[in-house]
Amino acid sequence: MDFELTESQELFRKTARDIADREIAPRAATVDELAEFPRETVATLGELGFMGIMVPQEYGGAGADAVSYVVALEEISRACASTGVIMSVNNSLYCEPILRFGTEDQKRRFLVPVASGRSQGCFALSEPNAGTDAANQQTRARREGDTYALNGSKNFITNGLEADFAIMFAQLDPALGHRGITAFVVERGTPGYSVSKVEKKLGIRGSSCCQLLLEDVRVPAENRLGAEGEGLRLALRALDGGRIGIATQALGIAQAAYEAALAYAGQRVQFGQPIARFQAIQFMLADMATEIEAARLLTLRAAALKDRSASYSKEASMAKLYASETAMRVATKAIQVHGGYGYLKDFPVERFFRDAKITEIYEGTSEAQRMVIARALLHD
Amino acid sequence: MALNIVVCVKQIIDPEIPASQFKLDKANKRQLREGHNLVISAYDQNALEVALQLKEKAGGKVTALCLGEAGATSALKSALGMGADEAALLSDPAFLACDQFGVAHALAAGIKKLGAVDLVLCGCVSGDWGDLMVGPLLAEELGIGCVTFASRIEATDGALLFRRVVETGVERIEAKPPVVATVISDETNTPRYPKLRDIMAAGKKPIPVWKAADVQVDAARVGAAARRVEVDDLYVPVRESTCELIDGETAEEKADRLALRLRELKLI
Repeated sequence: MDFELTESQELFRKTARDIADREIAPRAATVDELAEFPRETVATLGELGFMGIMVPQEYGGAGADAVSYVVALEEISRACASTGVIMSVNNSLYCEPILRFGTEDQKRRFLVPVASGRSQGCFALSEPNAGTDAANQQTRARREGDTYALNGSKNFITNGLEADFAIMFAQLDPALGHRGITAFVVERGTPGYSVSKVEKKLGIRGSSCCQLLLEDVRVPAENRLGAEGEGLRLALRALDGGRIGIATQALGIAQAAYEAALAYAGQRVQFGQPIARFQAIQFMLADMATEIEAARLLTLRAAALKDRSASYSKEASMAKLYASETAMRVATKAIQVHGGYGYLKDFPVERFFRDAKITEIYEGTSEAQRMVIARALLHD
Repeated sequence: MALNIVVCVKQIIDPEIPASQFKLDKANKRQLREGHNLVISAYDQNALEVALQLKEKAGGKVTALCLGEAGATSALKSALGMGADEAALLSDPAFLACDQFGVAHALAAGIKKLGAVDLVLCGCVSGDWGDLMVGPLLAEELGIGCVTFASRIEATDGALLFRRVVETGVERIEAKPPVVATVISDETNTPRYPKLRDIMAAGKKPIPVWKAADVQVDAARVGAAARRVEVDDLYVPVRESTCELIDGETAEEKADRLALRLRELKLI
């Protein structure tokens, strides 16, 4: 089995690392502190093609594979997890479903602007009573001639504040159950569509997390994504890809935390020697590095399966589950290696710790990932 | 004036790596590259940026040329990703251990193979050995003029205008092509990031690899035997740091003693 990156994938990594080191990392603490959307860096990344990495070039993307996406996103997330999730939402949750399920006209109108970095997208599935139970959609869609009227609310929508386009899920007829769920693209500025609340969060504070309100929002039928009733299938497919994105984001956070711990352990002197000479610290570093490597391989494996058009749902869940829990463990240990200093905002590990937690929750909690994996095991 | 520009790029170990990771092959007096991130030498990237800007304004073509090991194609892919139109690699065991004279001779042979050129650009100094010689030597080999330490270049009708940074200020030089120039960084030539779609396109572009026999190289002027510059010794300087605590009853006293100590050490 060959784990070597191709020359292009390696160049993706280098380019992403250059931008991450020079443009993103120096601002990451401020972005976190001020809970400020990193507009400038997102614009730069968009211009260079980071918001539509797997989108064919004819639709404004880079036309690269999922492995390239993983290596680039890890570098960006290593510098700033907020920027990482903004990138992941645009690539995995927004561009992918439009590419897979959109008509040619929809691709031109809704995919090109986001993949080419001119606009932002978001994915509005979660509702107050539809989290892990995503099929329990309360938002209603009512067909009226050539339009649909949408009513309801969405919550925890990443990029909701900045998004020019939202993939919105709504139930056509509760009697149809999950077969009634339908997806639409709603454009910002459509009457009745508004951001009703911007949440204050523990981590990834540079990305917005919003409640969206839909009050009789009229969406033309040509904005329906896929067929009526195809929404849940579309959402689950997008989330499979999204899990590769979040696994990668977690990996980037873990790598950053590990590197900070390694550097600190080499500098911090106690009892007359750097603490890296103590076995207790060495064992922590060894565990961190090993788990990160395992998480990376799981994530790249899921991406490689996606690139081969093979089934990758179970592997994406395994990668997301393991990488996110690794990020949490590694960030916790990184603070432990730093001792009291790790608890202070003067050092970046407390940010990594806060950023890591969400990766165990969004785009499917760890428990949801275990359900997906177990279901696949029992049905294989 | 559409310009045919060649930019010579050198692949070196990333200068940003920690000094502790820097390893030497003492016997062969060379740096060990294995396992390190390899990049295009910094000023060569500025040269490439100058070339790309010139092409965008005046039209023409940019070719990146590298002398190096087989793996140096990755540096050329990087140049193509930034926007170079073509690239070629000079790679042959005969070129191993060339000194600056040998490198200039081999690069000149590569440039001649590319056909008529208007402008040849190099970084003003290499990021590994700190040489400033290849550009001027290359001009000598090609029998054309050379402008060193140019930070900006403009194309006018039939001539090139160079902004040259010198110790006393800035010189403006006009030169008729073909000409060689070495490039120094300034705020106008910060290397651009490659667009991801250009990286993908670069991956598909073929990069010819030229052996010594493919270009008109005088075998007696390249390789270890032709060296005129000998490296006497190669070592990583040992840096020692010690900590000295200055005592005193009050802040003023501590400051006085610190100032005296710094003066004693001839640091102030």
